[in-house]
Amino acid sequence: MMSSVPGSDKKSKLLVYTIEECPVCGQKTKRAFAVGDYVTKEAAKCSKCGNPTRIGLVYAESMKPSR
Amino acid sequence: MSVLEGGVLQLFPGVNASDLVTLVWIGFFALTFLYQTRIQSYLALSEISRGLNKLKVMKDKARKDTIDYLVNVGKATNDPSPRVDQFLDYVAIMPVDMDPAGIVGKIDHIVTTNNDRVRAEVGALLNQNNPVTVSISENLLEVATSLNQIHKIVRHYYLLGKKTNSYFTLVQLQMLMPMIIQEADALLNAVDSFKLGQPVGDGIGPIVVSRFMAGKEKRVIAKDTVMAITEYKGRKLYVLKADGPMAYVGQPGVAIQKIVGEMGVKPSAIVMIDAALKLEGEKTGEIAEGVGAAIGGIGVEKFQIEEAATRVKVPLYAILVKQSILEAITVMRKEIAEAADKVTQVLNRVIEEKTKEGDEIVVAGIGNTLGVAQ
Repeated sequence: MMSSVPGSDKKSKLLVYTIEECPVCGQKTKRAFAVGDYVTKEAAKCSKCGNPTRIGLVYAESMKPSR
Repeated sequence: MSVLEGGVLQLFPGVNASDLVTLVWIGFFALTFLYQTRIQSYLALSEISRGLNKLKVMKDKARKDTIDYLVNVGKATNDPSPRVDQFLDYVAIMPVDMDPAGIVGKIDHIVTTNNDRVRAEVGALLNQNNPVTVSISENLLEVATSLNQIHKIVRHYYLLGKKTNSYFTLVQLQMLMPMIIQEADALLNAVDSFKLGQPVGDGIGPIVVSRFMAGKEKRVIAKDTVMAITEYKGRKLYVLKADGPMAYVGQPGVAIQKIVGEMGVKPSAIVMIDAALKLEGEKTGEIAEGVGAAIGGIGVEKFQIEEAATRVKVPLYAILVKQSILEAITVMRKEIAEAADKVTQVLNRVIEEKTKEGDEIVVAGIGNTLGVAQ
């Protein structure tokens, strides 16, 4: 589930992403946050080398509304 | 002017329009001079009243969200509303400080009793014992309680100022309202992050430390606190954080006391990584280094860590990641998350510069570890 919460300046929305990292080749994949995600959780297989990845970060980015 | 000359001025022969306007101005200034505090009190009352309404909406929303979470996720069997309402007014009475000797132990005892009771209350409400759900419920109840308290205190001073017609009470409250609303808003925004189990800005310390713990054997060293032993460039690291991905802060004070006490470790340094409130103008995610126990809260953990470090004469180093109160308790911002790599570099440098091969070092990731396992 993609979560969207108000940003600090009230005009922006925050979109939350999960970063999956491959411990073998270092490949990073960014996808929308899903409920149940947490840092160090085992994630999907690496698209580059096929090894299992781990969630390295979960963070929110500000999305300014288009005028 | 012609209306005045044709009407009102006929009643006062010898008075011209200019005199009348002057008289009105003098009257206006006299009224303003005599009743300025009364007028400003009305303005303050109206502004505080608007803020108070906002606070009421916020505390009602936090209460509703908490109840919804308990019912929908926690699968509460009965209607939890009466218990939640009872909980919102629950107080922890701090010990008397007339004789301050030993007060930290007393505060610790009361805080621990309070935390145990909260967990027991939440456990009784929920129809499941998933630790993540229980910890999130605890945090949601704490947020709802805080907002309820803020609303009650502001309402108290508003009504007191109104009742006693105290200009200074009202003006002080009016000046504080923007900061109070800002803090309440931060608490309300925290509800969304907690419900979804997303890491919050305060979790930057645990994120950095979790990288050192990956793949290592973990052991519970204190309540809700885990530790792993690892190595870095010939040094032995005792790495600890709260037990994630639950929304815990753990007991790092107790953990560090155990490491240097019961376990008999003689560390060359204790390095603490924590989030720190930034001043206006400072950038989110900026890193600051320093010495001392980097930990917030009521002061019990800080006391325990300082006491342990002083006893064994070990330097305390702090690595801080700057953020606002809103950013600290809501979903982690990109700028904070991206600071994790830089903090790791700083930590490595501190270890290399301040210790030598064969040394033992304690590394503590301080903060709420929601959404951050190890």
